[in-house]
Amino acid sequence: MMPKQAADDRGFVESAAAGADGAARAQETAEVEVAASVRALSKSFKKTRVLEDVSFDVGVGEALVLLGASGSGKTTILRIIAGLEQPDSGSVILHGRDVTDLPARERGVGVIFQSYALFPRMTVQENIGYGLRIRGRRRREVKEKVKSLLELVHLEEHRKKYPHQLSGGQQQRVAIARTLAYQPQVLLFDEPFGALDAQTRVRLRREIRALLREVNVPAIFITHDQEEALELGDRIAVLHAGHLEQVGTPEEVYNRPETEYVATFLGAANLLLGVAAGGRVELGTASIEAGAESARFREGQSVKLVFRPEDVHLSLTGALPEGCRRLTNGVIEEKHFVGAYERLTVRLDLVARLPSAGEPPLYEVTINTPETSLGVPIFVTRPKPEVSATALKVGDRVAVCLTAFRVLPNFALASERASRTLDTQK
Amino acid sequence: MSSAIATMRHVRGFDVVKPFSLGMVILLMLPLVLLPLASIFIFGTSKGLGSFWAALTAPEAVFALKLSVVTSFYATLFNVLFGLLAAYVLSRYMFLGRTAIIVIISLPTAIPTAVAGFALLLLWGKYGLIGRFLPPDLQIMFTPYAIILANIFVTFPLAFGVLMSVFETMDRSLEEASATIGATRWQTFWHVTLPSLRGAIVTGALLTFARAIGEFGSTILVSGNLAMSTQTAPLYIFSKFNEGQVEAANAVAIVLALFSFVIFFILFFARDWLEVK
Repeated sequence: MMPKQAADDRGFVESAAAGADGAARAQETAEVEVAASVRALSKSFKKTRVLEDVSFDVGVGEALVLLGASGSGKTTILRIIAGLEQPDSGSVILHGRDVTDLPARERGVGVIFQSYALFPRMTVQENIGYGLRIRGRRRREVKEKVKSLLELVHLEEHRKKYPHQLSGGQQQRVAIARTLAYQPQVLLFDEPFGALDAQTRVRLRREIRALLREVNVPAIFITHDQEEALELGDRIAVLHAGHLEQVGTPEEVYNRPETEYVATFLGAANLLLGVAAGGRVELGTASIEAGAESARFREGQSVKLVFRPEDVHLSLTGALPEGCRRLTNGVIEEKHFVGAYERLTVRLDLVARLPSAGEPPLYEVTINTPETSLGVPIFVTRPKPEVSATALKVGDRVAVCLTAFRVLPNFALASERASRTLDTQK
Repeated sequence: MSSAIATMRHVRGFDVVKPFSLGMVILLMLPLVLLPLASIFIFGTSKGLGSFWAALTAPEAVFALKLSVVTSFYATLFNVLFGLLAAYVLSRYMFLGRTAIIVIISLPTAIPTAVAGFALLLLWGKYGLIGRFLPPDLQIMFTPYAIILANIFVTFPLAFGVLMSVFETMDRSLEEASATIGATRWQTFWHVTLPSLRGAIVTGALLTFARAIGEFGSTILVSGNLAMSTQTAPLYIFSKFNEGQVEAANAVAIVLALFSFVIFFILFFARDWLEVK
């Protein structure tokens, strides 16, 4: 129950106090004008619930990324906004107008399909002019508009080619130009880079960002690639099993995840079970000063300490840098070179706090190593400069401190994913 | 000897299996396909092109060929239009009994053509289930209309099958893209769906036409085989042969064979052009 609550609260904060009935009010009060919003969308296919009470806004000129694993419902949201699917309940508002009951063709939404969906029997310029031709615009007007769009997407010399003669990136630009021709209210990108190789992907991401800034049309991207989401989005909405888990800027969702799912889906995260106690988080035999982070929890509440591998600092001497909070000591168990950084497994000296008589232990850790050691393993990454400054080898004993971490409530819900890095059992 | 062959097989660049099996295939194809076809042309032109031309331009022969072309044309037109409609409806909408309709539409492919003609007679004939209630001027059996009806009955599954398979494998996002761009259903169908079906329409039409122009079994029952009235080209061949006028039959047979060659080569070699890229 709680994680949903938390996500909802966030949603309301982000949407500038917009209630289900207050779209107009939201427009007055919000800092940026809202270009598109969805309100309390729910949708089921047969008996499967794919969306549950999803609400978010996109500001004018803003790029929002819907991030989620396959089956999270992100494509369904996109199709509902485009009018290709009807929601069971909830509404879609474009520039203050409720379009929930309008057919796709009357919404003025631009969709860039994953396959680009270019018309194979039309040339590039015919594809781009399609939206104007079916609107009955004069031939000269169509020609001029197509010409300026061809310049915008740098495809002038390809205008007479057919889609199959173009590269993936060029096809995508045709698809974008085709939607820009009729001045869409919002652009929807369905997994825009899924069909491309890694290098092209990175280049196109930047091109599209630049293009969007130029035309100033709000955009919604959907993707399952967290790196893509962080780079493309002004804000990111993380979806999980039909729920909106968190909406925020890339910095917010990466550095201050609201839920365990967000923490683990966007990058790697270490999760340690603990208990909130007197401004600290107790983790078995160790504890860490948590300050404001732990103020949100009542005394003795079960929590999870969440931190990213790059936020861990290891010290051979025990001397800790300024602002790095000491966690405990540990032993380096594995070391891998993975290119840009070094990846270590450190077994912390944590032992589960002894339970009171008769109670089950708070957590148990089972690891299969030759000597089946006790303690909790965590992943640590160290950048190259740090690696060359202080070399660490397997078996070294180190002091462990954290430069950043989150404390999240510990729910034993099925929807909460089990830790990726620990094999814990409650 | 046997060891010699065994070593031969391992010599690079020479595989005895290849020429042997290829030879077998060609040897079988000759008497099965090539020689019968060749004999039509050899016999038909053996008395000189003059007599061939005379046989071909006999009024009865010309009429039979014309009737075949005209009736096949109307059957083709019907098949393409209603094949499109049926395939569109059956691929776009899910409803109870959809599979039953598809099976029933495709059923005539499995029915012997003579049975199909007989069935039409029993329905539309003067004493048929419906025919008995029709006034004399609406009786269609033993008229050219009956030939068209029989052609449609026999060939509709061909056109439908070709169109349906293309409809079902078509990329739906093209139509969805057209809708989001602002096109009406009709505009989408005209500008997006139909161009993608170009190949299927041509293929379906040619298959229908090729099949209809040579249709014999059902036509002989429903047409009455009246010279200069309801006698199609295949019926003409049959009748003239029965009367012993082999030359007359042969001339028309050559024309029919050429028709099917042309259609076949279009279907076979224009595939690149017909296929959706």
